[in-house]
Amino acid sequence: MANSSTSSRGLAGTTLRINLSTGEIKRYPTDEKLMREWFGGRGAIAKILYDEVPRDADPLGPENLFIMSAGVMSGCFIPAGAKIGFGSISPLTNGHGDSNMGGHLGPTLKFAGYDMVIMSGISPKPVYLFIDDDTVELRDASQYWGMGSLACEPAMKKDLGEDFEIATIGPAGENGIRFSCITHDFGRQAGRTGQGAVMGSKKLKAIAIRGTCGINVHNLDKLTEQVTAIIKRTQTHPNMAPWQKYGTAFFIEWSNDNAVIPTRNFQTTYFEDIKGISGDALVERCLITHKACFGCWMNCGKYTKAVLPGKETVYLEGPEYETGALCGSNLGMTDINQVAYLNWLMDNVGMDTMSGGGVVAFAMECFQRGLITTDDLEGHTLNWGSVEDTEHFVDMVVHRRGIGEYFAGGTKRAAEKIGRGSEKFAMQVKGQEMSGYDGRYAPGMLLSYMTCDIGAHHNRSWTITVDMAEGRDKVEGRAKVVVYLQHIRPLFDCWCICRLFWGELDIEPEEIVESLNLITGWNIDAAEAFKTSEKIWNLVRCHYLERNKANGRTFDYPPARSWEDKIPTGPSAGKGLTKEQIETMLDEYYACRGWDNDGNPSREVLHDLKLDFAADNIEKIGLLGKPLPNGIPAVRGERYKPKAF
Amino acid sequence: MIIYLRAGGQLREKLKPDVDHYTRKVEIDGEKTIAEILKDISVDSAFVALIHVDGKLKDLSFKPSDGQTITLQPPVSGG
Repeated sequence: MANSSTSSRGLAGTTLRINLSTGEIKRYPTDEKLMREWFGGRGAIAKILYDEVPRDADPLGPENLFIMSAGVMSGCFIPAGAKIGFGSISPLTNGHGDSNMGGHLGPTLKFAGYDMVIMSGISPKPVYLFIDDDTVELRDASQYWGMGSLACEPAMKKDLGEDFEIATIGPAGENGIRFSCITHDFGRQAGRTGQGAVMGSKKLKAIAIRGTCGINVHNLDKLTEQVTAIIKRTQTHPNMAPWQKYGTAFFIEWSNDNAVIPTRNFQTTYFEDIKGISGDALVERCLITHKACFGCWMNCGKYTKAVLPGKETVYLEGPEYETGALCGSNLGMTDINQVAYLNWLMDNVGMDTMSGGGVVAFAMECFQRGLITTDDLEGHTLNWGSVEDTEHFVDMVVHRRGIGEYFAGGTKRAAEKIGRGSEKFAMQVKGQEMSGYDGRYAPGMLLSYMTCDIGAHHNRSWTITVDMAEGRDKVEGRAKVVVYLQHIRPLFDCWCICRLFWGELDIEPEEIVESLNLITGWNIDAAEAFKTSEKIWNLVRCHYLERNKANGRTFDYPPARSWEDKIPTGPSAGKGLTKEQIETMLDEYYACRGWDNDGNPSREVLHDLKLDFAADNIEKIGLLGKPLPNGIPAVRGERYKPKAF
Repeated sequence: MIIYLRAGGQLREKLKPDVDHYTRKVEIDGEKTIAEILKDISVDSAFVALIHVDGKLKDLSFKPSDGQTITLQPPVSGG
């Protein structure tokens, strides 16, 4: 099989390129140099998108690529090795976009013999990608088109067999809703950056994979020894039992106690009805059983049901923290069954619950302020805490009816159409809606959103406890921690392994690099890993500048609520940042990265990262950063201790 | 009265374990809440997201009894 031919271990050996316009499917040996230099996953996706997608390509047009990559560690015997990454030019941000999911799809792609699938063009009719080891076909998907994600997956399993792993989009993706997700394993989503919309634009309804081979690793004996020791050690870790019981949902109440939970579209950071949507409420009222990704011993997934009067009982995975916050307190929902129901609703229509929660919350605040009315909503209201109102509004958006069309592009585009000051509370950066933390009194978190390469997202950097430890009124010194986190956290998305076992179970970065070496034989150290991650970060920044053609700083601001509105209620009432503090954080951040004060990478830093080609490209459009007066820092970012944050 | 506090991550470092990698033995005089105990040993309770005792969820007002083990969980590093 293909996966026995590669010299670089951890790889399956073959990359597929599929032209959806013509139906042509080609096999290539996986580019080992690309994998080694860009670490597979997010890194390889970033380099391919940079090299191959024209700068003026429409994210929802045929020239955009849709890439699926399982990286070098997924499926390779390590306990968190279950991820798969998706990437394309994001229809939300118009820059590089990537998102990943757990479940079983990543390992299965490699077990079928493939590291990456690179898709171009637009199919003339709805299709799904069928992979059964050596058999790769585009098959007619007309019978599935229009189905909800949670209905489509079992239907396809019934048709193909239970041993196929399946990823689907719902009607949102089919209709080009820019914050659509990809769903797999009945509740695992690649939710961010609108990858589901790109799939839909290509008329690709689903991906079905069965793989029966294995993956060679460099040193199986030592890997076995290391992994066994990690599992043994972490079984007694104090975080393990609560983690297995609640998953990330336990965190809801803590966020509220510490005044970071977004409430009613980030109007405040404290939700008075938090008990009703807490992790404890989830376990008490909704939990059916626990659920894990491939090979994982943490089982953070919660298989649940939502029971609401007048509604059919629905079954889902979740809500985890982000959905709990963004479809809970952020929409004024007071009962965990409401949150779970909306989680199911958005999963089924194929809408990212994070951006979806953000979009609905923004619309609710527009309604609260009279910027949209019942006349715009087909006679309905859109009140905080109303499941019925939310369900109707989501249907308007998914089917682009009336004012739903405004919101189909996310909060930024909706605010541009609604105007009348709504831009101030469209809670996004670069077009992507914020995650479930309010950064007004957590400055490092706000900086994390502002500078995130794919638009506002906590995945790249999360600093709430750093902010608490260092002082929430203070912004100085935060940038170097954010930069460090922006280097270490995306590494997990390159290698296609879960980040949570690092953060929650005290696995040191050096241990993970050791696993990588035992899998691949690459013999790298943590410093090289961080520098490669920094290289990817800078390439993505250059790509964003090349596509959007303005100084980087202009894209890095949060909405004005972030400095104009102090927090009105709760433990942090009266607190907030000033515009000057936000400018200070950006100044420090750019200096820390070796970028100029306009937020553009300097040639010196790009040269140090072997990105001279990108320096040449941004120089041609006048966006190469000016040389820094004191040169660039030798190491960008600073490792923060205590390590787990 | 002796109780045992267990924690990982950032909390573990603050806790300064002395029994094993995760556990600290704490001697307390009379009945005290977990909030009071943490204050006595200079651990900021704001960094405690979850308190588990015998598999059950407790809050900072819980008063442990002699010999009990209290597991303290720090917040998730991003949901």
